[in-house]
Amino acid sequence: MIELLMTVFSATFFVTVIRTATPLIFATLGGLISDLSGALNVALEGMMLIAALTAVIVSVYAPWYVAVLSGVLAGALLGALMAFFHLKMKADIILVGFAVNILAAGGTVFALSQATGGDKGTSINLTSKAVPAVDLPFLEAIPVVGPTLDRLLSGHSILSWLAALTVFAVWYFLYRTPHGLWLRGVGEYPAAPEAAGIPVNKVRAWSLVASGALAGIGGAQLAMFNYIGFTRDMTAGRGFIALGAVLLGARHPVGAMLAALLFGVFEALSIVMPNLFNWIPGELIQTIPFAVTILALILFSYRSQRARQLKTLSKI
Amino acid sequence: MAALLEAIAIRKTYPGGTLANDGVDLSVQSGKVHAVVGENGAGKSTLMKILFGIEKPDAGELRLEGNAIAFANPREAIDAGIGMVFQHFSLVPSFTVYENVVLGSEPKSGIRFDREKAIAEVRALSERFRLNVDPLTPVEQLPVGQQQRVEILKALYRNARILILDEPTAVLAPQEVAELFVAVRSLVEQGRTVIFIAHKLPEVLEISDRITVMRGGRTVGEVETKSVTEQSLATMMVGREVSLRVERGQTAGALACEIKALKLVGDNGATIAEDLNLRVHSGEIVGLVGVEGNGQAELLEAVAGLRPVAEGAIYLDGADMLPLSVLERRGKGLSNIPEDRIAQGLATGSSVAENLVATRLDDARFVRRGLLDLKAIRENAVSLIERFSIRVGGPNSAVGTLSGGNMQKVVVARELSEEPKLLLVNQPTRGVDLGATQFIWKSITDARDAGAAVLLSSADLGELLALADRLVVFYRGRIVAAFVNSEALNAETLGTYMLGLETQEADTMRSALR
Repeated sequence: MIELLMTVFSATFFVTVIRTATPLIFATLGGLISDLSGALNVALEGMMLIAALTAVIVSVYAPWYVAVLSGVLAGALLGALMAFFHLKMKADIILVGFAVNILAAGGTVFALSQATGGDKGTSINLTSKAVPAVDLPFLEAIPVVGPTLDRLLSGHSILSWLAALTVFAVWYFLYRTPHGLWLRGVGEYPAAPEAAGIPVNKVRAWSLVASGALAGIGGAQLAMFNYIGFTRDMTAGRGFIALGAVLLGARHPVGAMLAALLFGVFEALSIVMPNLFNWIPGELIQTIPFAVTILALILFSYRSQRARQLKTLSKI
Repeated sequence: MAALLEAIAIRKTYPGGTLANDGVDLSVQSGKVHAVVGENGAGKSTLMKILFGIEKPDAGELRLEGNAIAFANPREAIDAGIGMVFQHFSLVPSFTVYENVVLGSEPKSGIRFDREKAIAEVRALSERFRLNVDPLTPVEQLPVGQQQRVEILKALYRNARILILDEPTAVLAPQEVAELFVAVRSLVEQGRTVIFIAHKLPEVLEISDRITVMRGGRTVGEVETKSVTEQSLATMMVGREVSLRVERGQTAGALACEIKALKLVGDNGATIAEDLNLRVHSGEIVGLVGVEGNGQAELLEAVAGLRPVAEGAIYLDGADMLPLSVLERRGKGLSNIPEDRIAQGLATGSSVAENLVATRLDDARFVRRGLLDLKAIRENAVSLIERFSIRVGGPNSAVGTLSGGNMQKVVVARELSEEPKLLLVNQPTRGVDLGATQFIWKSITDARDAGAAVLLSSADLGELLALADRLVVFYRGRIVAAFVNSEALNAETLGTYMLGLETQEADTMRSALR
């Protein structure tokens, strides 16, 4: 137990949390935008998976940033595809989302075997690149706290810093710009923006595209930093955990980030725990993030129900 | 003086073949309140949709300040200075008043939404036109009357010179109507023009300068308000003398339904209504008065068995009803004409015949050995269609193809075909034309005369005053006043209690509660 605590309060563990939480933060923000626009994107999982593979394959031939961009583009295109089927062809958004997930599960394995020449499990024989980590050696020069700061803040993916920036950008967009107001209005009560001459479907389409693009960065981080290379089903439910994190974060960007970090902590735990407790089956430890998701959602829904009761009581 | 807005010989046929407008003329002077009156189905709404660019006319011409115009969509009408406030508001509930007002035309500084400017502009508008509402409150916390002001502000913010109000008083209590009229007068004083759609004639006579009367898709006349009376206007509207008077019940019989210390709680745990005590006798109509959302509808649902009861008891003929299911209560002689005929009263995809027996599938006349007796069901339908003069192609037509009034008649026919002991009625004539209203009122009073105890709730005070023998007023989930109906009782008196402005003395209330 002492060992576990020591591990948890180490700088390495913090770095691991940031690493595991980064793809989740992007996916959660993507989920948040689509949810607020009223077109819930359940395809985050599939989008991340396809973006991950795209980024890995492109990185064999191009610099890392081009690879990341290709992942973003792949996600955005899938978002546009969903928008087309849902808004133009009037298909149900949940069914369209699951179609993308199923397409991703099978399609990535097929594309992987084509790209690697027959390997259906991993991209191990492709020399894919990684997203660079940012080192901040100058921090060490600060007296007293310098070395600790350096160990906490150095070694993160460039995309982790981008994630923090994106949380702020999404918040600014949603609550400080007219288009953010449109998006929230469209999601909550489409008749009102429609009567005001706002193109409701266009707003939703762009939300799905943005949602896909964000899931795409998440996928790129996963396959170019958390792991180097692609493995089949490597997203392992992160897209669905992200949907849970949207609700747990009370449909607010900062809340969404905190929820994603919470899930990041438990994923990091499931990474460090097998080394400390070799008597617990590894599979059991790996279920922790998913069990926590379910628990957190139950707790959240119970609490929000209570809050609603209190609110209506105080009104009377 | 030249007209500001003119419609000349407008004709509109809907794809279904309904001729909604045929040779409609309208000429609105600048700076006046112009009322358009007519029964439901007279074509008022269609004409307004044409003026606002929602529908395109098949023939005829629109002129704004003498120039011919044609709107492809509402956006173009808004840009030309026409604003419309619908009966159903389109406001985002969690947004504040000012966010709702500026939505779609937000003031910006750079890429930022300039909130301070938006708040200031909305505040200035609301002061200028005496539309008193706090810009910072979320609209979901506002009463209906104030939400309507937000809708008017929305139109004014977009520089509407001509404001179309579609039955604006239908959702308001009498005092709120008075406040709306203050705002309308202030609009007109400041040079705006208001087109006022209505069917409540006293209100029209109070607020308008000129009146256009429509009937059956045509304009039947345009008159100066000063030169007409309520009776002459009603005659123009209907095309014949109408009397919407019904006979009062002669004798109230034995106690039929008793509601004791009833408390109702919503899904979220909030109290909806409490301490409800009410006795309904056979052969009387008890009217439930109140602004919507004060517990009347919920009481009816609880009696019908559609809503759980937290405390208290409901008896029918001395027997406790609470343990009984909806169907068992119906078996004891309860009938229910629900508020929303499409969502609760009918299966719109099913045929008229099927709907007419939907509540009696354990009746051996229609179901034998678990199989439907189609012949009996059809005969039942034919006789009820005849008896309730439902205008329909045949027993097998889908209910969804009927007009609102005829749909409601199907509900009424089903619920009144067996003589009920207790009849629950909520909004029986909402969206129903004058002819069908007369018929439905007659059906309800016939049921009463046959010995039914009737609980009637309606948003239309005129309807309650016309039908009810006794009236109880609901305010915030409690019965705050009770009256025996008489000529002396009027809507204004009821209104003061509906809004909680006055409280009735316990003794007076007890004597009227019987």
